[in-house]
Amino acid sequence: MKPQQLTIYKPNQRHELGFLKTWAVMARNILSSRELIWQLFKRDFFAAYKKSFLGITWIFMAPLMGIVSWVFLNMTGMLIPGDVGVPYPVYVLIGTTMWGLFMGFFNSANKTLSAGQALVMQVSYPHEALLFKETAEHLASFLITLLMSVLLLVVFKVTPSWKIIFFPLVALPLFFLGAAIGLVTSMISIVAVDISRIITVGMGLMMYITPVIYSNSVDSHLVQAIIKWNPMTYLVCSARNIIIYGSLYKPTGYFVCAMLSVILFLISWRLFYVSEDKIIERMI
Amino acid sequence: MDDTEKNVNSVVVSVKHVSKKFCKNLKRSMAYGIMDLSRNLFNITNDSGRLRRDEFWALDDINFELSRGESLGLIGVNGSGKTTLLRLLSGIFPPDKGEIAVRGRVGALIAVGAGFHPHMTGRENIYLNGAILGMTRKEIDSKFRYIVDFAGINGFLDAPVSMYSSGMRVRLGFSIATAVDPDILLLDEILAVGDARFRNKCYYRIGEIRKNAAIIFVSHSVDQIARICDRCLLLNRGKAEYFGEVSEAIKMYVGETEANGGDSVGFEKVFEPVKSVRFDWSTLTVEYGETVQLVMTVVAEEAIPDNMLRIVLYDHKESVVAEWNNRRMNQRIDLNKGTTTLRVNLGPLHLKNGEYRFGVVLNDAHGTREIIRTFRQYALHIDGPVQGSSAYQLPSL
Repeated sequence: MKPQQLTIYKPNQRHELGFLKTWAVMARNILSSRELIWQLFKRDFFAAYKKSFLGITWIFMAPLMGIVSWVFLNMTGMLIPGDVGVPYPVYVLIGTTMWGLFMGFFNSANKTLSAGQALVMQVSYPHEALLFKETAEHLASFLITLLMSVLLLVVFKVTPSWKIIFFPLVALPLFFLGAAIGLVTSMISIVAVDISRIITVGMGLMMYITPVIYSNSVDSHLVQAIIKWNPMTYLVCSARNIIIYGSLYKPTGYFVCAMLSVILFLISWRLFYVSEDKIIERMI
Repeated sequence: MDDTEKNVNSVVVSVKHVSKKFCKNLKRSMAYGIMDLSRNLFNITNDSGRLRRDEFWALDDINFELSRGESLGLIGVNGSGKTTLLRLLSGIFPPDKGEIAVRGRVGALIAVGAGFHPHMTGRENIYLNGAILGMTRKEIDSKFRYIVDFAGINGFLDAPVSMYSSGMRVRLGFSIATAVDPDILLLDEILAVGDARFRNKCYYRIGEIRKNAAIIFVSHSVDQIARICDRCLLLNRGKAEYFGEVSEAIKMYVGETEANGGDSVGFEKVFEPVKSVRFDWSTLTVEYGETVQLVMTVVAEEAIPDNMLRIVLYDHKESVVAEWNNRRMNQRIDLNKGTTTLRVNLGPLHLKNGEYRFGVVLNDAHGTREIIRTFRQYALHIDGPVQGSSAYQLPSL
């Protein structure tokens, strides 16, 4: 006879679980649902292209278009090359790519509950698996974007430093922060669409107060202050700089923000675990 | 007592004082959701045992225990909380009061083929669906042959599921869900779909699973409940109205559905030249195998020769279970001018336990004109055998 696990369902059961235990349980759930994450990933990532003739080549199209447009803008002379040490299109392209990476993490987490809406009411499975499936999907397409961007570096004769190998580590806080915000909005979007819309729009606007399409040497004091207090500045710019300069953007600020992201993520993850069932029963 | 035996007799589902509340008002429900969310943010426990405005108990103080080898039928009119109870049992959301303990793996067929991707092939979908139900790749590999054979989709394995007929999709979903070898199997209205051959295969498979698992079965079909279950829980507006014998529960349930609109559909009409008709039944409650006597007193304005009288007996699903026709028995019925009295012996009634309704139609000689028509106006209660799915029960073999 196979071993039989006793499962108990009680009100506020997850709430009574300690903080540390929640994280342990969630980590275990993720590990045990590897197969599910992989199957769902396969379904959504590849099946999306099953009805198209070009098929999987489509995922190269979007980043290619991005590059073409920045190169074109460069040719018009519209972009005033501030002194950023590298050709301006490279600076902007890598910067916006990093911003896209962050927004992708946010959007993936934001879809955690809604992506599985049809399933959630019918089968019981650890929903945190969906966070990782969505994130994996995002990373897969990001990798292709990144590859093409690095090719562009070569075209513009910028040699990345060997420190580029630290890129995954430097970019990790972007995941923590993006997922922290996204997990909360994924729940809010079920019970109050307005609030999650505001957050989503606000997140899009954040890009303009982060120095990704301009350099941080702006004259305005107000802009300087905003940039300084915007945590995204440190996280996004460090991920960009490690690729084009091989250095971090203001290391102290970066490490503080990175730590905060991790803490925020842990809190948000716990909140998700404790509250998701209260939200799910309102999805009917 | 050895290990296997202990397992067979062990309780696998235990439901104690379980209640679940829902909110009637959508806006308020959303507001409560945000309130609960912010309370959790500050680590304050929700008092889920109290009703807030517009909330109601969708399930109220439900108790039962189920062991391996037992099967429980859940019946009740729409909105009585059957599906909510299944969702609690499968862990989709937690109860607001009480406790549910489940030992082992739960296989739930609340919706067939949840998560099928239409553009993926049957083969890909088997792996996907298996993963959703918590199977490992190795497990799916070992069950693959069984799933394909049981669903009977051999030739379509590499075709996208969108090309499948709806019956094939249901078959595939059922096959995957039952391949898990669950300790507890939850079935929601599942046998309402699929053709008769597949339904029989399902019954057989359910019987197999039942040897080693507990089954909870939701259905509106009392025949299926009687066929599969050995105990029954009758829900009414979230409350357990009855728990125990299948026959008793079905009797109460059928009584309820009859009361909820069964009466409104009955009518009685007479057409010219008939003025009035009176029905006198010797009895409307009979034992299995007894006979009912009907005396019809018809008042007509003129004589109508050689009529056709049809008396039809409907069951609760409005299917015809018995019919009498005077022409078939070569009995002539003439109506006089004035009053005519007709005597009919109906029976012996070898029918299953339950409520039935009479329909009486009298046609004139040409069979084209109806002069008397009653539909479901008179209810007949039969105290017959409970088990078995067909209405007509042979007195002996």
